[in-house]
Formats: sequence, structure tokens, C-alpha cells
Amino acid sequence: MPPKPHRVLLDRVSGYADEAAAFMRRRRVPSRPFARLYYPHGRSADHAQDSRSGAELFVAAGRLIEVAGKRQKG
Amino acid sequence: MVGIFTQMMDAAAAAPDKESAEAALAFLAEMSPDLRGAAILGPEGKVLAATEGEPERWSEDAETLFADADAAEGVPVEQIHIATEQGEVFAVRNEGLAAVSVTDRFALASLMLYDLRATLRELARGAGGPS
Repeated sequence: MPPKPHRVLLDRVSGYADEAAAFMRRRRVPSRPFARLYYPHGRSADHAQDSRSGAELFVAAGRLIEVAGKRQKG
Repeated sequence: MVGIFTQMMDAAAAAPDKESAEAALAFLAEMSPDLRGAAILGPEGKVLAATEGEPERWSEDAETLFADADAAEGVPVEQIHIATEQGEVFAVRNEGLAAVSVTDRFALASLMLYDLRATLRELARGAGGPS
């Protein structure tokens, strides 16, 4: 027996909502601040914002962001 | 200032001229819609080209960034990527030159780092931008 039309609509809406929620969850992970350094031979290392080296890197990055200023839109 | 940049390989190689650096930077800006600003630095940390802002500040702040990054593990870094709430910073040293860029958040990191590396490589070879 085919499902009632409003059921189809509800399933579709909740499907989109689930997709959007999953997208937002995935987006939240890379949106956290991080400092990553790349060394010769492909090695990389992350430095937490609350570590001494990480804090210095974030301060230096903040200065560069300030120098670059806001992007001209359009 | 010279100390940080003399760690770059081939630092003694002839630095590209300002016109080539400006052309390379213009090409980079055209390719990267997320770019807010960038600078290309010569072997001694002197700014060869910068999008906006004072060249001295680009030079000083890039020097500080590389110095802090090198000090983190006591080993010279090749590339830097720092993502903050206000934007993202990328820095690359290659062929005796350095490039620093600031982008909007969520810029494609691998592409930006590739473009910076390619820009420096082509610039070192005497071309104005990646082919």
C-alpha cells in the first residue's frame, strides 16, 4: 500500500533537516581555531591554542590578519 | 630579521625583481577568491610585493610568524596554516623566498598552500606566475 502523501512530504522534510544537522556537525569541527606547522618530508604538527607555542602563533597570525585588513567585497 | 630568512634554502640565489613579484601576487589574488591580502618576501625578508597594508608590517609580522613557528619544535618549518575566528593565515618558504597570505575563514587550505608554493617556484625560475 502506498504511503499517505503527507507522510512522504514529512519524511522528505525531516530527511533534509537530518542532512543539514549532519553538515553543521561536520562544519563545527574544522571551524575550531588551530595552528598547524608543516615540516620537510611531509610531517605536520598541531599546536593547541592554550600551549605556549600555539599562543605565540595565534598572536603572530592575528597581527597578519590585522595588516591584511578586511576584504573589499564586490 | 635576516636570521629567519637565511634558513631558507638557496637564500643566496638572485632575488626576483619587484615587477615580477607584483605580477605573481596579482595572479595569485586573481586565482584566490578568498584572499584578503598577501605578501611575497625576498631572501632577506624584504617585501618584494604586498597587496595592501604597510610593507614594513608585512615583513615584521611574517618574520615573527616564521620565528615562532621555527621555535615551536626547534626545526625550520616549510609551511604554516593557522585558522582563527577572524580569518586564516598561510605561509610558505620555498626556493629562498617566502609568501604569506590571509584569507577568509574556511578557505581551501591545500589549494592555497599549493598556489603559494607554485607562485614562489615560478617566481624563483623567473616567471611572473604559475603556468
